[in-house]
Amino acid sequence: MTRVSVWPLKTVAFIILAAAGLSPLVACVRRPAEPTWAKFGGDPGQGAILVGRFSCGACHEIAGVQGANGKVGPPLSTFADRTMIAGVLPNTPENLVRWLRHPQAVVPGNAMPDVGLSDSQARDVAAYLYRGR
Amino acid sequence: MSSRTREAIEHFFSSPRGPLTWLVGVACGFAAMGAGALVVIEGGIFNATASTPHIPAVALAAHTAFIRSVEVRAKGITPPARFTPVEVTAGFRDYDASCASCHGAPGVSNARWAHAMTPPPPYLEDAARRWRPEELYWIVGQGVKMTAMPAWREVRSDGQVWDLVAFLEALPYLTAADYARMRATAANTTAGASRPPSPNPQGLSRSD
Repeated sequence: MTRVSVWPLKTVAFIILAAAGLSPLVACVRRPAEPTWAKFGGDPGQGAILVGRFSCGACHEIAGVQGANGKVGPPLSTFADRTMIAGVLPNTPENLVRWLRHPQAVVPGNAMPDVGLSDSQARDVAAYLYRGR
Repeated sequence: MSSRTREAIEHFFSSPRGPLTWLVGVACGFAAMGAGALVVIEGGIFNATASTPHIPAVALAAHTAFIRSVEVRAKGITPPARFTPVEVTAGFRDYDASCASCHGAPGVSNARWAHAMTPPPPYLEDAARRWRPEELYWIVGQGVKMTAMPAWREVRSDGQVWDLVAFLEALPYLTAADYARMRATAANTTAGASRPPSPNPQGLSRSD
């Protein structure tokens, strides 16, 4: 009688412990080693405002930004999952800030202008584009 | 009309909670809406500053109203069958002098102060894909209330407004390099003699 009641308890405990032990691994698989915006020092809330002020949505589709339905450039809704920026820079926060501040220096003659974002403004916009990471 | 529909209508008009109750209800609803609007307006609740963005619902309502207003009013305007390079060049000159500071250009940012406007003026690279030529003609010529977009027909001839439309139609095909080249060419050909296009309607720059 006692064996019947003890075994399921052990099994349940094992499953719980195993799940707890494996969950960080699962998280690793689902989220690659990507620096979070918090570590990177931008304010996504401020970034959302700047995205509106600098008319990013005229050329880009950005989920969550009203009226941002432009189709001149690529959509930015899942930017954190993008591998390359403008096809030439690996998608790292440092590269994104560089691209946001000086797109004409990175790819001379491309349609995206240097809009005059400061370093901290570019970090805010980057934080917004990486939001949720 | 089916007999069942007729029955329903007859029942509606003969029942004690019929048309009168319904009418009073609607009237009360409108009165409440009016009172609400009065409170928002007179109470200074609507924030008219440009330093804050529109409330999403207000932005959606205003933007949709703008789009429908243009669609309805531009109907019946016949655009030219085709635009000539002369018109595109004339439109470019006017655009570069009067529009680019707010709307930018391929590879060219709008002015810093344009970022301080609400709503912020959009880049127009794909305006010709969003609007028909006659709609662009209407927007450029008549302007847009509460956006700081001027009614350019007030200070430009009809032909000059069409020139701007011609340039907007060409814009999706222009690279940043093309635009820079057009700027350089314009600077060379008007060196020392650059002035804004004549607002005189007689000074038509259009080739018809």
